[in-house]
Amino acid sequence: MNPIVQGLITIVIGVGGCIGYFYGANFVLDRFIFPAKGKNAGQNINRANMVRPWLFLFPAMFALGLYLVYPVFGSFFRSLYNRSGNDFIGIGNYVTLAGDEAFRTAFLNNVLWVLFVPAVTTFLGLVIAQLTDRLRWGNIAKSIIFMPMAISFVGASLIWKFVYANDPDIGIINAIRVGLGGEPLDPLQVPFWNNFFLMVILIWIQTGFAMVILSAALRGVPEETIEAAIIDGANPFQVFFKIMVPQIMPTIVVVWTTITLLVLKVFDIVYAMTGGNFGTEILPSYMMNFMFRDDGIATAVAFVIMIAVMPVLIWNIRQARAEMR
Amino acid sequence: MFPTPIQKRPVAAQALYQGLLPIALIMWLLPLIAVALFSIRPFSDFGAGNYWGWPSSFEMFHNYGQVFFNSDMPRYLWNSVLITVPTVVGAVALSCMTGFALGIYRFRGNLLIFFMFIAGNFVPFQILMVPVRDFTVSAGLYDTKLGLVLFHIAFQTGFCTLFMRNFIRALPYELIEAARVEGVSEWRIFWYVVLPLMRPATAALSVLIFTFIWNDYFWALVLTQGPNAQPVTAGITSFNSQFVAQYHLMSAGSIVAAIPPVAMFFLMQRHFIAGLTLGAVK
Repeated sequence: MNPIVQGLITIVIGVGGCIGYFYGANFVLDRFIFPAKGKNAGQNINRANMVRPWLFLFPAMFALGLYLVYPVFGSFFRSLYNRSGNDFIGIGNYVTLAGDEAFRTAFLNNVLWVLFVPAVTTFLGLVIAQLTDRLRWGNIAKSIIFMPMAISFVGASLIWKFVYANDPDIGIINAIRVGLGGEPLDPLQVPFWNNFFLMVILIWIQTGFAMVILSAALRGVPEETIEAAIIDGANPFQVFFKIMVPQIMPTIVVVWTTITLLVLKVFDIVYAMTGGNFGTEILPSYMMNFMFRDDGIATAVAFVIMIAVMPVLIWNIRQARAEMR
Repeated sequence: MFPTPIQKRPVAAQALYQGLLPIALIMWLLPLIAVALFSIRPFSDFGAGNYWGWPSSFEMFHNYGQVFFNSDMPRYLWNSVLITVPTVVGAVALSCMTGFALGIYRFRGNLLIFFMFIAGNFVPFQILMVPVRDFTVSAGLYDTKLGLVLFHIAFQTGFCTLFMRNFIRALPYELIEAARVEGVSEWRIFWYVVLPLMRPATAALSVLIFTFIWNDYFWALVLTQGPNAQPVTAGITSFNSQFVAQYHLMSAGSIVAAIPPVAMFFLMQRHFIAGLTLGAVK
């Protein structure tokens, strides 16, 4: 069968199924289970309205339960078993991890990523947002800065391979080095600093995101506060850092945490660029080494990442709850 | 008004600013420009050491023709389409309904479920890998597009619901009450009142999810393995190992793989940015 037809049929069945489900379920609820007539009409309407939200929620909750809630717990239990999954070894996998040199490197590198990437990205995004905001062709500039965001992490990594290539003829960095009279070297093999070279790729991708969000926030800063500061004799830097930045602090925090969460999960860049060699391993890419080899260790690493995400997660839920009150 | 409009600054500062910014932008795009340049060179240029100079001939059609007719690239691209589009449709359809339920109805457990969706949104996908893979294998969906689509829909529903719920909350509630007073059934309220108002949100969310799914690499690695079902993100790496050291083809392949989401972004820029802003800041 023609794949286009196949795809279309899948979509029609899917969407039709969704619509059918909701229409049908509501219809059955209103007509047969709790009909709004007879002697219990009032009571039935109330009952139907109690059930109804769950009709709308059921498919999504089912999907989420199957693919999210169950796997989180499943992973945790799996991490307590050995490689074959037959023997319960308690925290054995975690002990193995703690004793593994590579794991410690990955962990420390991840700390570097989490400290460095969100900070630089947010700062760059903020500065670029401010610099391009009042420019006539600022929107074009923004589109250009933002464009890498649309490219996949793997795609971006492959593109950056041309920047970091060892061969001075191919790699831009080495072309410049040789042009200045230096020796070509593989930037990705320079110990310690190669981590930062990899981070640059993520910063390149994410700055656009930070810029877009922060630029929207900067536009929302009331003009009067800025005017007042200028009348009081503040210089442009003071206005920016002491008047504008404090007012958009909540947005900065949101951007920061969003990028932090992302950093904790991104593995594509390291995986595609160095495969975790030369001391660039981070936790998510370290875990990929065990993907089809030792599920016990892999899930244990995943759980460590989960624990690292936990504080941000709890903080976010707190935040959402506070907003609701 | 602050900052002083750039036009009113001293001429020197103005020139410096107007001059430096384009240079900075070109630097920003340099990796892309380099790859684009490589992709239209003939192979002989690389042998002759002509990497950065003017291409000796423009081999656009030849290089991209190779990518499209002599490799698995079209299959990978097509797989990506078949994975991405149903996921976008499914996730948006589902989240319209869950968003409606959480945004409009007040019932016990509402907040709890909402927080569950938020939490689901933040869970690192790594932790799902082993159980989801095992489940997919045992359901016979390993290395199929359907397996990827089902998982993506389920996983994206968390974010989408969050997004939709916040959008629906911001709609005027009186509209819904008015419809209720008129005796319109709940299903019709959803279909004729709320859904049309959600159009901007659906557009923004669709564009956003499209790029998310198109660019996914992790699940493509975990749940698929061959050109049968692998999307282009995974395909491009096998493509590169197939044409290793043939820089002109590797770069043409990278460009081809990057074009759909970039084109989507430029066509739907407004929606994309609206989506990001709505998603991050409520």
